[in-house]
Amino acid sequence: MLIRVTSVSFSGLNTIRIDVEVNIADRGLPSFDIVGMPNKAVAESRERVRTSLINSGTNFPLRKITVNLAPGDVPKEGAFYDLPIAVGILSGIRGFSIPGESMFFGELSLDGSLRHTKGTLLAALFAKENRIKNIFVPEQSANEASVVKGINVYPVTDLNQITDFFNSEIKLEPAVYRQSEASGRGGAEFDMSEVHGQEQAKRALEIAAAGGHNIIMIGSPGSGKTMLARALPGIMPLLSEEESLEVTKIYSSSGNIPPGGSLIAARPFRAPHHIISQAGLVGGGAHPQPGEISLAHRGILFLDEFNEFPRAVIEALRQPIEDGMLTISRSLERVTYPSRFILVAAANPCPCGYLNDETKECTCTKREIIRYQKKLSGPILDRIDLHVDVPVVDIKKLSRGLDNTIKNESSPEIRTRITAARKIQKERFKSEAIHTNSEMKNRLIKKYVPLGPSSRSLLLEAAGSFKLSARSYLKIIKIARTIADLEEQTDINESHIAEALQFRPRIIE
Amino acid sequence: MKMLSGEKVNRIDIKSSEYPSLLKEIKDPPPFLYFRGEWDINIFNETLSVVGSRRMTGYGEIITDEVISAVAEAGITVVSGFMYGIDAKAHEAAVEAGGRTVAVMPCGIERIHPEHQAPLYEKILTTGGLAVSEYPGSTPPALWTYPRRNRIIAALSPFLLVVEAGLKSGALITARIAAKYRRNIFAVPGPLTSSVSLGTALLIKQGAVILTAPEDILNKYGKYSLTSAGNKKPWEGLNKNQKRIVDLLSVSPVGIDEIKRNTGRSASETGADVTILQLYKTIILKNGKYYLNKRGDKC
Repeated sequence: MLIRVTSVSFSGLNTIRIDVEVNIADRGLPSFDIVGMPNKAVAESRERVRTSLINSGTNFPLRKITVNLAPGDVPKEGAFYDLPIAVGILSGIRGFSIPGESMFFGELSLDGSLRHTKGTLLAALFAKENRIKNIFVPEQSANEASVVKGINVYPVTDLNQITDFFNSEIKLEPAVYRQSEASGRGGAEFDMSEVHGQEQAKRALEIAAAGGHNIIMIGSPGSGKTMLARALPGIMPLLSEEESLEVTKIYSSSGNIPPGGSLIAARPFRAPHHIISQAGLVGGGAHPQPGEISLAHRGILFLDEFNEFPRAVIEALRQPIEDGMLTISRSLERVTYPSRFILVAAANPCPCGYLNDETKECTCTKREIIRYQKKLSGPILDRIDLHVDVPVVDIKKLSRGLDNTIKNESSPEIRTRITAARKIQKERFKSEAIHTNSEMKNRLIKKYVPLGPSSRSLLLEAAGSFKLSARSYLKIIKIARTIADLEEQTDINESHIAEALQFRPRIIE
Repeated sequence: MKMLSGEKVNRIDIKSSEYPSLLKEIKDPPPFLYFRGEWDINIFNETLSVVGSRRMTGYGEIITDEVISAVAEAGITVVSGFMYGIDAKAHEAAVEAGGRTVAVMPCGIERIHPEHQAPLYEKILTTGGLAVSEYPGSTPPALWTYPRRNRIIAALSPFLLVVEAGLKSGALITARIAAKYRRNIFAVPGPLTSSVSLGTALLIKQGAVILTAPEDILNKYGKYSLTSAGNKKPWEGLNKNQKRIVDLLSVSPVGIDEIKRNTGRSASETGADVTILQLYKTIILKNGKYYLNKRGDKC
């Protein structure tokens, strides 16, 4: 007796159809085998399926059971084949038929119940693309799958429930999408108005958010670099539906969506520690998993103590920053994950951290400072547009500021400007493959950012005076473009250029 | 440790008429003075020795620049110890102002210490200056060679200028030696909140002359300032908002965020104005703070 059940296999964010063929033979010694390039997690499925069937009160048949995952030359990974295999066997021994246009996805627990399973959203998207009407998923993953419209997502709690359903003893209602509670701050831990002082740094972050520019903040410990970075998601435009789905796919495939969770509404904010490995940052593994850069897709990658990251790890960032995605090639498969993020780097100005600090003395020698700053320079800094100093704020002056009537702007107020600036950029680049000013290459800068004679001469004078490199020169133009967009002005004038020059690189002085 | 190409190390014997006479006066002059560069005894005719902290602040840098530029332009040779911080700044300002300067090294004459200042070292020699040491070869500096070196610095000039000094510092040691040699000491006053101004404050308390303008030194040499600092008004050609920034900075140097708060304009407008003022060379950024550029001719 041969039963065929539809399921799915993942390669990165891509899916392919898998037919789970279950054969219960009357001849041969009793056995239970899975073939079709299963990996460890799939092979262990045998024990989970057998035990959960027995614990659900089924008489596990003493016959020769062969499970084939077809096509046989694609490596299979993951625990989610438990449900299709178990359903196949149940159909064989309980004698119910599996309705066509159905697929099954989920990991079993030994008591016969279903566990939250990673990749459910991708499976549901696959179902929709392939016109499979019904998908049966673990109850805790149902909300994640129900984002996909036009298919029936059936939440399943355990094996007995699914048997009863197919025997028409009970009815199952398809899951209805419930929006998960979006945080009011759009994923930010702080509101910009909570940050006192640091006007220049806040302005730099506003420009970064508006034009998608990477930024580095240099300042002593306790100056508020981390707080500023954590406030950044709150001023970024809310994720569009399309972006939100992109992000959720990555989180789903890597098992980062909590049980009952669904679409990710807030901008991701990832802050890996500097002991991270290269694979951890950009992704990797025999079956490549997304790294922090992909988990930060459409959001922020915050690298605190930037210079403490190993050089090789930092260098690995170059390609994804340029391309907005990263292809990971391994012997078994080649996988591409998107990685369009804003890099926010933070570093101390010197090894002890207190160079130029008013409150504490720097104990570094000149030689240490030179060596330190050399390490901080290099190719990756070339990819950072905005450089800003974050000095320690004097507490006395700060408290004076608190009594002051001057109110700090709140994140939503700043966000309004940024959303408008993003809209202008979208319109500008509608015939290009990019969305923000920071992505412009030389050709596009020439095309979209014409400079008037006075702006050009100011920039040239500054290039000489501040000893700007050719690359910095272009960066200033890009930043000036974003500043003009924030003011909703078509032409770039001198004050845009002049302000942009404040964010020139000046680590080595 | 590298030698300049085609260059020889020479020495001057204490018995030579070319030996600096001021140095001869002290109790334990070096028997030989090793040097690099073109020896010209006239370089020691009018000299000012300058010492100060390695931990130079933005304030110390600005003052050194201003004073030494005026001194060097007036033709006075600047003698210092080639350490980073105030020493290096003094050499640099002298070279830039077209003056000559003498670096008294704490190590063997064939060594450049600290090494990362090799470009400055070369500049000193190519502009007619000298590097001198009482040690031959490439002996590395040791803890005890610094105070020995300091006595040469103190001895070589009739006047010693102390810009910034901690309470326990080589600069104070040099000042003590200079006092013993009956040299006149100038000390630059500074804020008492800065640890590198406590040493100069102590000197002032003990009777050093407070330096308030480069003319204080120039007058002692019977000279007057060639650059009339008051000539160029820093606010010429500025708009109202830029003038406000200049006014603010004339009281005390501050960072850009404080400029923003004090002028009440947006961070964006402040950033643009500050850049323009920097390009006009009206203000200079040092260690995170903006200073008025009184000299007005360099950035």
